[in-house]
This record gives sequence, structure tokens and C-alpha cells, in this order.
Amino acid sequence: MSKETPPLFGKTRFLEGLIDVFLDQVAEGAIFLQIGVTAYFENAEVTETSQEKLQQILAVKERSNDLRRSIGTLLYTEMLIPDARGDVLRLIGELYELLDKIGNNFETLLIEQPQAPGDDYRQGFEELIAIATKSVQTIVVAARAFFRNPTVVRDHIHEVRVYESEADKVALRLKKKIFGSELPYEIKAQLRDAVNAIDDLADKSELIGDHLSIFTLKRAL
Amino acid sequence: MNLINSLIFLSSGLFLGWSMGANDASNVFGTAVATRMVRFSTAAFLCSVFVILGAVRDGAGAAGGLSQLGAINTLPGSFTAALAAALTIAGLSKLGLPGSTTQAVVGAIIGWNLFSGSITNLATLRRILMTWIASPVLGGIFAILIYSLVVLLIRKTKPHLLVLDRNIRFGLILAGVFGSYAIGANGIGNVMGFFVAASPFVDLKLGTISFSAVEQLFLLGGIAIAVGVYTYSQRVMMTVGNSLMALSPLGALVVVIAHSLVLFIFSSQELANLLISVGLPPIPLLPVSGSQAVIGAVLGIGLLQGLKGVRQIKWGVLVGIASGWVTTPIIAAIVGFTLLFIVQNVFGQEVYREIYYNLSPPVLERLAQAGISTEPLADLQNQTMAKGIYFRQSVRDRLTLSPAQEALVLNSAEVNNLQITPEKIATLDQGILNPVQIAALNNLVGQSFSHKWQLDQALAQQSDAWQKKDDNPQNEDFNQKLKQQLAYVQNVFHH
Repeated sequence: MSKETPPLFGKTRFLEGLIDVFLDQVAEGAIFLQIGVTAYFENAEVTETSQEKLQQILAVKERSNDLRRSIGTLLYTEMLIPDARGDVLRLIGELYELLDKIGNNFETLLIEQPQAPGDDYRQGFEELIAIATKSVQTIVVAARAFFRNPTVVRDHIHEVRVYESEADKVALRLKKKIFGSELPYEIKAQLRDAVNAIDDLADKSELIGDHLSIFTLKRAL
Repeated sequence: MNLINSLIFLSSGLFLGWSMGANDASNVFGTAVATRMVRFSTAAFLCSVFVILGAVRDGAGAAGGLSQLGAINTLPGSFTAALAAALTIAGLSKLGLPGSTTQAVVGAIIGWNLFSGSITNLATLRRILMTWIASPVLGGIFAILIYSLVVLLIRKTKPHLLVLDRNIRFGLILAGVFGSYAIGANGIGNVMGFFVAASPFVDLKLGTISFSAVEQLFLLGGIAIAVGVYTYSQRVMMTVGNSLMALSPLGALVVVIAHSLVLFIFSSQELANLLISVGLPPIPLLPVSGSQAVIGAVLGIGLLQGLKGVRQIKWGVLVGIASGWVTTPIIAAIVGFTLLFIVQNVFGQEVYREIYYNLSPPVLERLAQAGISTEPLADLQNQTMAKGIYFRQSVRDRLTLSPAQEALVLNSAEVNNLQITPEKIATLDQGILNPVQIAALNNLVGQSFSHKWQLDQALAQQSDAWQKKDDNPQNEDFNQKLKQQLAYVQNVFHH
């Protein structure tokens, strides 16, 4: 059940606040992930920082799950935005899935602890996580614009697509490097999975962007 | 009149009220309900409350001349005409089509005119034909202008989706509430106006609060409209707001505002007077119908979106609605004629009182003064003729007159037995006449008049309050009111 109790008056502001906080949580999750992943590959082991970031991501996830439910319940019980509430709910749901993916993938990384020998690999992973984080942050900006200024959503979605294609290129380069090396196969497989898990965040962001562009078209005045 | 008779006569007024509620509520709340911005139950509740308020608070004051059914001169006649109009509108609502109650009423009156041999005013027919074109075109133009403006404003202010939603919903409810009040205030005259004479109610006084018989009658009419809204309006609302074209909530609001603005600007005497008083040229008053303006506004929004919007419009539904407009007065006239025949011949009721015409010497003198050559009419002098159409034909056989002159001949020759008695003066409604006017009537006690215009002249001699002012826009309001007051007095003193 939702933990958010709406006030008797000012439900619009209240719900507006909930949606803003929810988007903040997703953006925060992406930042925590970048710091956590960078900290892990810097030391090639689970550090206090990476563990702390995982905990923060899990906390953010839990909070946004509550927010997502509250937003859905409020939208339907108060009969708000009848023409767009399905789209809004789907957008919020997909952003939550993205945050969930961030948490799960990072948790898996810290459990499997793939070993990336040498600075080349570290730099490659840092570059990949930076681009993936950027794509997540941009899709959050696009989602925020959907609520306030739909005309600029298209620009943000275009940025997300560029980041996704860049992430694919870095991921491909990394995978080629991994499988061209003399590393044992199990390490190669672990590193490949880590690359895919990070690249997956950019893919998911792009997918949300595709849906968002349709929602925005429907909102066109 | 006994209570049972009163209630029977009232029943068709109540039925007309119910039909009107079922159909007209769609103009003000249709788009809001169809876009799911306002629940049907909320819309029905607000609409009902404000229709009743409008009917009781603002309807009663203008009871005197508002009734379209006023042309019909017996109670069974207006009962039947109201029934015909109500059946027509109920049929439209059953089909889910929006129609115009006023046009159904006018259609029923035409049916009565045909049945009773009275003359149908061609200007009324022209008005209906003009409404079919003027209302949707103006509604469409207004919708396009307002929509473009609102979009510009939204792009400039960039409100949050939820804030925009809240503002649109607030706007829809506010516009709906005002619209409902207007339906109650303007429509109640059509529904109950003529039945004031059959009212079984008496004035009530509770301390300082008084509740007149007319207000009680209009409350009953308002309740009938409200019941119509609750029980049967949803289908028409869905046609207006959804079947013709899927509207966005913003579109819904624009449609309601465009509809109200068209009604206000092109039918408000007050606005015209205001413009004149500040030295601006008045906006010409055009006959406009709410239902038709709403449909025009929906189409306007569709057309604004270019080819995409045009493709979205369901032309089949539009043809259905437009054919409903054309057939409404025709069907009402046919149903009215048939029902009048049945009521007269099966139930033995007097559905019309024969109107007689007589070219008496004072009438001929009056016509001569107006520049009409009366010599060819000499052989008709002092002959009393029944039925307007026969009398008019006799005049036409002898003289070629302009429509205005013809109207003057008919108006002057109509025989009315008017007797000014103290008993009838005591029954006059002080809300309609002022004390000076009643005093002037008191001076005429004991006199009788054969023609309405003779009473009008006698009253004008008694007091300035009964004198028509010069024909110019500043005096239009006064003259209009005077005309209604004279009609009321003629009705009261008719023997």
C-alpha cells in the first residue's frame, strides 16, 4: 500500500512533488551507480565506497517503488489527467524498471566481482559507465520536460539515442579487447556480462525514449 | 381550473423540461464528461443544481414575455404544442443527437399556426434557417481563435501537466455551472412560461422570505429539467464530446468557452447596449443556437489540426446531427398538427381560440394615417372575418402591400375584446409592471377596447411609462420591455 497520504486540498501540487521526487530518485540512482562502478574498477575489488553506493541505490529503489505506487493510486482515485494518465503511469513504471535494473546489475557485479587486469580495461569500463549514466540522466531530463515543456523532449531523446550508440561502440570495443586477450574464459565471460549489464542501461534508456516520443506526440497541442 | 386539470396541462411542460434537460445539458457539460475530465455524476449534480437556481432566481423575473409558446392562445393548445416539442426533443435524445429546444418549440407553433389558420411569421423561419449556418460557423471560428490563443499561452507559460489539467478541469466546471444557470434562466420560459395561467400554486410567505407562485412553478420546471439531465443526458453528452471527434481536455474547454462566447456576443442585448453607451458600434445580434454552436466549435478544432483533424472527424455522425437540426422543426410541426387534431377531436378540447379581423372605421383611419390607400378595402369595412390567412388573402386580392404594411393591416384589424376591470388590475404582477404603469391602467377602469392598439394608444396618453421611445439602439431595451409589458396587459384584460 502506498505510504503517501494526499492532503485534502492541493492534491495537484502534492502529486507534482511526488513525480519530481521520483525522477530525482532515478537520477540519484544513476549517480550512485557511476561512483560505485568507478570505485569497484579502480580497486578491482569490493570497497567500502562501492558497497555504500549499492546500499544507497537499494534505498533509492525502495523509496521510488513507494512513490510509483502512490502516483498511480492518486492518478486514478482522483481522476487526474484522464487523457495522459496511462502514459504517465507507463513512463513512471519504465523508469522504475530502469532503476531496478541499475540496482540488480550493480548488485550482480559486486557478487561476481569480475577481475579486469590493467588500466586499459579500467578506463574502458569508466568510459562505458560514464556514457550509460549520461543516457539515464538525459532520459530523466526528458521525462521531466514531458511534464513541463513537451516541445524540448525530442531534443533530449535525440541525445539519449546518441549516448546509446556511443555506449554500444565502447561496449563492442571492450568486448573485442576482452576476447582478444589471453585471459581465462571464465574471466572473459564475467567481463562480457559486466559490459552487457552496463550497456543494457543505455539500451533501456533509449527504449524509454522511444515510448516517450510517442507519449509526447499525443500531448502535442 | 381544478387541480387535476392543472396538473394534466402542466405535465406536458414538465415533459418538455425533461426533454430539454436530457438534450441541452450536453452543450455545457458534454465535452467535459466525454473527455472524462468531469464525472457524469458530478456534472449531472452541478448542472441540476444550477439549472434549478437559474430557473427560480432569474427565470421568474422575465416570465412575462419570454415564452415562445405565447403565440398560442388557449391552454390545451399550448399543452399540445409543448407535448409535440417535447416528443421531438426526446426522440433526438433517444438517438443521441443534440438538437435545439427552441427550434422544436417554434416548429410546434408552426404546426399550431397551420392547424388554426394563423399566419406564420416568415421572419421566424428565416431565423431558423440562418441559425443552421450562423451558429456552427461562428462556433467554429471562435473555437479556432480561442484554441490558437490558449496554445500560445500554454507554450509561453509552460505549466506542469498536472497544473494544466487542474486549470482545465476548473475551467470546465466553471463554464458548465454558468452554462447550466443560463439554461435554467433562459429555457424555463419555453418550458413553463405559458403554464403560469394553469399554475395550481399560491404565493407563500415565510417571515420575510416570499416564494411566489411563479417561482414555485419554475422550481417544478427546473426540477423537471434536472431529472432530464440525470436520467437521459449521458448519451447526447457522449455524441457531442466523443462520437463526432475525439477531443482533448483542452479542446473540451475551448468548445464550451466558444459556445458561451458565441451565445453571449451574438445574442446579448446587454452587451450591445454597453457598446453603444461607450460610443462603439454594436455587434449585430444574430440568431444563434447553443447546440449548433457546440458542434461548430468541435469541427473548428478538428479543422485547425489540418488534414489529421479532418480525417478524425466522423462525417457520418455529423450528417446525422445536421439532419436532426433540419428535421427538428419539421417533425415538431407535423407532430404538433397531428396531436392538435387528436386533442381537439378526440378529447374535445379547444386547442385554439378563433381570431377575428374587422376593418372598422378606426382601423381604416389608422391605416390611412400610415399611408395605406384604404379605398380598395372599402367593401371589407365592418365585415368580421375569421382566420388570419383568409383575411390576409382578402386584403391581398385588393391591394399590394409591403410585408411591413401587411403586418400593420393584420395587427390593426385583429379584434380583441379588452375590458379594464378593477378585479383584473388586482391580479397584475408587480414584478412585471411598475406602479406608474398600474396607476395609468387604473385611470382606464370601465373602458373597453376592440383592438389591442387602441389600448396601447390609450395607455400611452395616460403616462410616459407606456410611451414607446424613438427607434434607436439606446432605446431598444426599453422598447423591447414595453412590448413585453403590453403583451402581458393585453393577455390579462382579454375578455
